[in-house]
Amino acid sequence: MKVKKPIYKILLLTCLLGLPLFARLSGQPVPGKDENIPFLVTFGKEGKTSWGDDDFYQVFFFSILKDYTKPFYIRVFDPDCGGENDEIEGEFNSKTKFSVYGGKGVDPDKNEESKGLLKGLNYKSGNLLASKIFGNEAKYDNKYYTFGPFNPSEGDFNAKWNSYIFKIVCEGITGDDGNLYRYFLSSDPDKNIPVEGANAFTYAYHFRMWNDFRSVAHIYPYIDTGIVYIRQSNFDWDNDGSILVVSRYKQGIPVPISNEDNWIKSNIPIEPPEVGSSLDFQFHKRQGELVKNNNVVITLENQRGDALKFFSSPIGGVPIYQPKLGYEKVKPKK
Amino acid sequence: MMHRFLYIFIALMVPLLPLRTRAQQPSVFEVKRMSFNADGFSNISPVIVKDGVIFCSNKRFSGIKDRISFDGRRLYNIYIAEKKDSSDFKKPMVLKSDRSNKFNNGPSCIAPDGKTIYFTSEVETGQLAADKNFKNHSGIFIAELSGMDLISLRPFKYNNPLYDVGQPSLSKDGKYIFFSSDMPGGHGGSDLYYCEMLNGDWSSPVNLGPKVNSAGAENYPYMHPSGKLYFTSDRPGGIGQLDIYTTSLNHGSWDEPLLLPEPINSTSDDFALVAEDNLRKGYFTSNRNNEDDIYEFTSTIIRFAVCDTLIENNFCYRFFEENAVKYDTLPFRYEWKFGDASTATGPVVEHCYAGPGVYTVQLDVVNLITKEITYNEKNETVVVTEEEQPYISAPDSVSTGHSIALSAEKTNLPGWNISRYYWNFGDETIGLGMNVNKSFLKPGTYNIQLIVSTEPEPGSNAREACVSKNIIVFPTP
Repeated sequence: MKVKKPIYKILLLTCLLGLPLFARLSGQPVPGKDENIPFLVTFGKEGKTSWGDDDFYQVFFFSILKDYTKPFYIRVFDPDCGGENDEIEGEFNSKTKFSVYGGKGVDPDKNEESKGLLKGLNYKSGNLLASKIFGNEAKYDNKYYTFGPFNPSEGDFNAKWNSYIFKIVCEGITGDDGNLYRYFLSSDPDKNIPVEGANAFTYAYHFRMWNDFRSVAHIYPYIDTGIVYIRQSNFDWDNDGSILVVSRYKQGIPVPISNEDNWIKSNIPIEPPEVGSSLDFQFHKRQGELVKNNNVVITLENQRGDALKFFSSPIGGVPIYQPKLGYEKVKPKK
Repeated sequence: MMHRFLYIFIALMVPLLPLRTRAQQPSVFEVKRMSFNADGFSNISPVIVKDGVIFCSNKRFSGIKDRISFDGRRLYNIYIAEKKDSSDFKKPMVLKSDRSNKFNNGPSCIAPDGKTIYFTSEVETGQLAADKNFKNHSGIFIAELSGMDLISLRPFKYNNPLYDVGQPSLSKDGKYIFFSSDMPGGHGGSDLYYCEMLNGDWSSPVNLGPKVNSAGAENYPYMHPSGKLYFTSDRPGGIGQLDIYTTSLNHGSWDEPLLLPEPINSTSDDFALVAEDNLRKGYFTSNRNNEDDIYEFTSTIIRFAVCDTLIENNFCYRFFEENAVKYDTLPFRYEWKFGDASTATGPVVEHCYAGPGVYTVQLDVVNLITKEITYNEKNETVVVTEEEQPYISAPDSVSTGHSIALSAEKTNLPGWNISRYYWNFGDETIGLGMNVNKSFLKPGTYNIQLIVSTEPEPGSNAREACVSKNIIVFPTP
């Protein structure tokens, strides 16, 4: 094959070099578009875990491709705790702190504590690049607040993903209300303009379920090499519907659902062809009596106890089940 | 008057019926006269041995002084014709003994050890011989074969100068000896008897009974290793004067003897048959060419050593959603449409089609959580065909004597221009044609082979295919 034009050469080179899967992604909304999750949620630390937040903080990571050298911004939608969207307990008296970290200690592949799963340890590791505390502030209600600009090279470099890793921690530092918010990783401070090749991930998803029967939320854990089975843990599901695990090879494996203020765990076997792709955890609301304002937490770990990443934009795309019809001859029944 | 003619007509026709029946059965044997027969002499009673054929002949033993019996007949002696190759024999050589050229030495058999020979000779009569009209009776003698000599001769325990005892045949294990005798107490003429070897000695002779022994003369018993007893009889109902029959011991009693087909039996005298273990080849004596000679018979029956077992056409299938069957419970309902208006529900279902065809199987899936129905989530084209094989349509079992129809009409060999349907019924009989009828005379399990073949076609050889099926034959109550 003779390639004449430079653009073809670039495309061909891109394919041959096997650029990281991130390169095709633009997972800047958090929750992601495919996740169909209305809001992330973090309660003030005086709240009750039965309200759907087990630890009152949430850690999210952003990956910026090494080749991307322009400044970027992390925009937080509705960062305050009051007004629309947020969950009031008595009166809005909560304060929420958002902190952005970069540099050494951020990359969870190199620093287990950074994942935010080990309570009491330093999930705030790294260089603090920016932070801001929000109370019940109308000027931020239902609006974006922008952190940045940040220089991509300020992140913690991850060779596997060929990306710089940044971290944003949301903490409910006072009060007991639930702050519902979203993120957007943007190349523009005032608009949501995706950063080419970027993605976002977390290890513990705290989010708000939809308040209608039909909407199905999704999260997309990535199945890395060597995973034989995964152990899911979900918290405070209030028996609100069903969780189904879907992949190209799973039409919908039901996962046991937790009750109010408790965790439930179960194992899900992984088939070899599923390695290197994402699973689709689907959250179906219970039909009949509507459970409103249900906040839930889910984490996944592999058979060795290592936490799995949930990517806002699923690696390898949204898995679609591929039915496989088989048949064989049998002896007729007499 | 009319009745009288009718009776005469029936009386004339009845004897012809067996011949007509035989004519429907294709000949399954070929016979040929053996090259070692001495022309102009009587050559009789073959015995198959490892190196060739032992037989008896009254041909000249010595060019100078050949003895003859008192009534002027030449004496028989025992000869062996050794194999030259797989199809021809060397010149016969005499097996000499002290009795050679003094007495008739005739029909024999060889023991399982391959060395001990039981043969028929004349019993020395002592004082009885003083009567010049007295004819020596035959008896059985035992000898060891040493080169071309028979040594260590000894008489059989039940020889008797007052009657004939001869034509011995030993069972495969050597525990039974069968022979012919006109000893008193028989059913007429000579009868067949056996003795059992008990504690190193032969038991008293036992008559084989009226099914085997007729009012006529039964001679030349031959107990084949398969357990079939062949013998010669001049009973009515044969083809010639002497004919060869076979019977088997079945639950302690002998079956009705069967007349061997032509061309083994002929309108002449045919007697003293022996056969190789597989019954596909053997020898017998016949005077069909005006003198006693030994003939070889070979079976022309085709039987494949390797023949596929008939596979019953089966149009039943199990359908499954391969991923669904890995899990015990899934919140889905799997609804199948089999393409023939039949449906079933479940992750694994079974369905039998009525016959060959091309069917589109469709799977609809109902999500029990969302109540969402995915129509035609997956479909598959299933091509249902009959097995490509010759096909035997026949009942699995039948009673003895009852005719059954066998058909090859359901043979499914696309592209074959079949020119011959050949049936091997497993009882040394065959049939030709797509549809045949068959009745079995004996109970047992018969392995039927259907062999179909094509004529050679331009650019290719003839093709053959074989399929087999067992038919169990029960005794008729």
